[in-house]
Amino acid sequence: MEFRDIQERVHTGLGGSFEVQDEIHDPAIIVPKEQLRAVCGFLRDDESLRMGTLRIITGIDRPAKKDSTESGSIEVVYHLCSYVHGHTVVIKTLLDREAPKVDSVQDIWPTANWHERETYDLLGVEFEGHPDLRRIMLPKDWVGHPLRKDYEPPKEYHGIPTTREAVLQAPRVEKVSPAQHEPKSDEPPERFIQLNMGPHHPATHGVLNFLLETDGEILRRVKPDVGYLHRGMEKLAERISYPGTMPFTDRIDYLGAMFTNHGWAMACEKLFGVEVPRRADFCRVIASELNRLASHLIATGCLPMEVGAFTPFIHWLREREIINDIMEMICGARLTYNYMRIGGVSRDIDQATIDKILGWLDNFEPTIDEFNRLISGNEIFVKRLANMAVIPAEVAVGYSLLGPNLRASGVDWDVRKNEPYSVYGELEFDVVTGQGWRGSIGDSYDRYFCRILEMKESVKIIRQACDLMPEGPIIAPKVPKKPAANEVYARTEGPRGEAGFYVVSDGSDKPYRARYRMGSFTAMSVIEAVTPGLMLADLVALIGSLDTIAPEVDR
Amino acid sequence: MNIFQSIGDQLIGWLFEVDPATWPYTYLVYALLIALGGGLTFGFVAIFAGPVTWVERRVAGRMMSRIGPNRVGPQGVLQWLCDGLKCWMKEDLVPACADRPLFRFAPYLVFGGMFGTFAVLPFGANIVATELNVGILYLLAVTGFVVIGMLMAGWGSNSKWAMFGGIRSAAQLVSYEIPVAFALMTVVLVAGSMSLQELVLGQGGMPWEWFVFRNPFLFAAFFLFFTAAIAEGNRTPFDLPEAESELVAGYNVEYSGMRYLFFMFAEWANLWVMSAIATVAFLGGWQIPGVSPEVIAASEGWTFVGWQALSVAIFVAKASVLVFFVIQLRWTLPRLRIDQLMVTCWKYLVPLSLACILGVLVLMLLIPEGSLVDMLLRVVMLAVGLAIAITYLRKVRATYLATRETYRNMEGKDQWYPAYRLP
Repeated sequence: MEFRDIQERVHTGLGGSFEVQDEIHDPAIIVPKEQLRAVCGFLRDDESLRMGTLRIITGIDRPAKKDSTESGSIEVVYHLCSYVHGHTVVIKTLLDREAPKVDSVQDIWPTANWHERETYDLLGVEFEGHPDLRRIMLPKDWVGHPLRKDYEPPKEYHGIPTTREAVLQAPRVEKVSPAQHEPKSDEPPERFIQLNMGPHHPATHGVLNFLLETDGEILRRVKPDVGYLHRGMEKLAERISYPGTMPFTDRIDYLGAMFTNHGWAMACEKLFGVEVPRRADFCRVIASELNRLASHLIATGCLPMEVGAFTPFIHWLREREIINDIMEMICGARLTYNYMRIGGVSRDIDQATIDKILGWLDNFEPTIDEFNRLISGNEIFVKRLANMAVIPAEVAVGYSLLGPNLRASGVDWDVRKNEPYSVYGELEFDVVTGQGWRGSIGDSYDRYFCRILEMKESVKIIRQACDLMPEGPIIAPKVPKKPAANEVYARTEGPRGEAGFYVVSDGSDKPYRARYRMGSFTAMSVIEAVTPGLMLADLVALIGSLDTIAPEVDR
Repeated sequence: MNIFQSIGDQLIGWLFEVDPATWPYTYLVYALLIALGGGLTFGFVAIFAGPVTWVERRVAGRMMSRIGPNRVGPQGVLQWLCDGLKCWMKEDLVPACADRPLFRFAPYLVFGGMFGTFAVLPFGANIVATELNVGILYLLAVTGFVVIGMLMAGWGSNSKWAMFGGIRSAAQLVSYEIPVAFALMTVVLVAGSMSLQELVLGQGGMPWEWFVFRNPFLFAAFFLFFTAAIAEGNRTPFDLPEAESELVAGYNVEYSGMRYLFFMFAEWANLWVMSAIATVAFLGGWQIPGVSPEVIAASEGWTFVGWQALSVAIFVAKASVLVFFVIQLRWTLPRLRIDQLMVTCWKYLVPLSLACILGVLVLMLLIPEGSLVDMLLRVVMLAVGLAIAITYLRKVRATYLATRETYRNMEGKDQWYPAYRLP
């Protein structure tokens, strides 16, 4: 359905007429905040719409002009998507800036829970009816909301200076004697064990904490506590120009840096109206798919390691080392690539590199089968993962899981296939969905094996792209400095799912608001829903099978 | 009369030219000799546990297609000395609020439990510290110290993660003692004795004279024992008490320095102990092929010493093969979950080992030793054992050839090390 049809359907279905903001790239329906829940419920439940997934909630602060008497507003933007019909829609609601309050939609889409908490944390929007509206990224006693345009960072936090000058001038802290921990004997014994898993734990893949309540080995409640790696990437983008943000996007997801590069480049190209040369598109696809291989190697190698087998991980690291070498030949970096530019790529892929890639692929493809013989068919490995932490399709869609995690639950959705970008439309590959290979559809083994099979598809894509790559320039000849005022949403299919980039421009040379939507964020939020009843060892395997990485959660 | 007494008597007679039975200082000499024997055994544990860590790391490196430690000494053989020295020089940390006596004492109990088993292990024809007539019983009892030590370490650390490890180890070790004991009972039945030396004497030097190939039930009991022993020794796939990806390090997470080293010491010593017990009980122990124990007993002088040395060499070689196999298992398999671990023990290993006891009893009644059926059974079982060994070797060879081929494809040249050597 096109936007006009969706708008028509909403109007007839709800019997009203909503304002529409259609001068922007992705037109939006503007909904009064009183009717938000009604509209959201209708969008989700109507047969012809079926907007089952909330991609992202974005808050945009729009303070009043200096000479104006109005108080300014805060926009809350909802990006919705339907996997059934394959269409998307954007709805917006405008709130009063002094007391921003809106109804929560977390009972319509469970994924809204964490997105609303983040919007509350960073913009101070209150979501009424939210069961657990706490700060998510910042500490609970932090003052202010950083993404407000008039935000002033506090000078100190708990006596720790936060500004650069104060840090340089602060006196050295003398050695503090440790506090005496006296066991409290008069408390009644606890029935359940309260356990902190993290922030330093080998299985959490980065700095991140899980608050566990266990009954012996069996988990009763798991609360992920994220935000240890929050670097304010979205705030940084508002201070730095469009091309300058490119290297920062590497650090959002250091295992799949090519996809965040690509997403940012695509968003900026939409804004600037730049055409990418064909050869550059092929370079992007080759580099991206190599990066997907590297990331999946880590994911499928780490999972056996969480389950106790160390050898497969090292074997995959050996293969990844060669990808890193190839990446070095392509863009000069091994991990944070900064390869793409707005309108193209920074360096060409020459014939020597292509020969090296093809030569390596010939050796790599049989290695996948060898790896399967080593671990994928191992009885203990299968017993540990099959039928463990099953995520049914409706839960996966409701929690807005992405990428292999979503496909393992049986939802046939791949951005490369369903909304082809770059040159993916011309290349032949299959979308792997979970088949319940060893247990039921959507269990941990499916998530693992989906990634294994996706590697084979990536190999196919790279071979075709190397074959079809035309001659020509690798970067657009001219890129304007300033875009027009607009709002765009670009997405790429990263190894951990869709990397979405929502960029709002006000006509200056810096983004007015940038919002990054990453797969790990929602994958982390689903853990709380699926863990009760699992065992402690299962939680570790579940984190491994969801392939979450902490910097992507926190950004 | 054990080995210390006989050596002591000869020594007294040779040095002081008095009758040891009436001489008042005889027991002093005995005590000195026992202390010396203990020191030698401890030395053996240290000398074994140290290099085996190096071997394990090199084998793991080879299996993972990386190199492993190769800097200290030729091929890195002295790595374990450096590791030991490093641990020795580290600070001995006791966490705040830990139960200090429990925390400090636990490593010694774990090590003591493991070390105690060496008292009854027959290393050679006459080389055994004590010939206890209830050797097997002693063996099973003394390893119980390990459970107590691990539980003490887990509880005393005042850390929930360590306690998880301690509780897991208690549940696991107590459960797996049962299949271990039942599997050993099968050979006790056949040999008619609980003394380990008697077990060895009940077998012969040739493979078809070993208990493992005597009948199908003993053959099965060997594998049951080996599986359960791996679980008792906390090795992968049963290394739940120290699961590093779940519990960080389990019961020893709060330890540092020398105390930590004692846990590691006990772990690798146990690697030897379980392989040695399997060798003694099932694989013919120190028996030299073609040489009967009577010949050894009748020999004198340097011939006697030669036979002893040869028997020790045979015993160590057999046990080392098993050790190598356990190392390979560790770097191949993932880890079980705690409920699957318990299911493996109580639903499979315990009933199967009971069935083995029953089967051995029935076969003992039906087939007299030395009859034609007995011989036939041994030949068949030996053939099965050989088939398994050949399959295993062929797989190892195929993997080696495939790796060499890949290396040649990638690098355009042959691997620079031969098959028998580590990289």
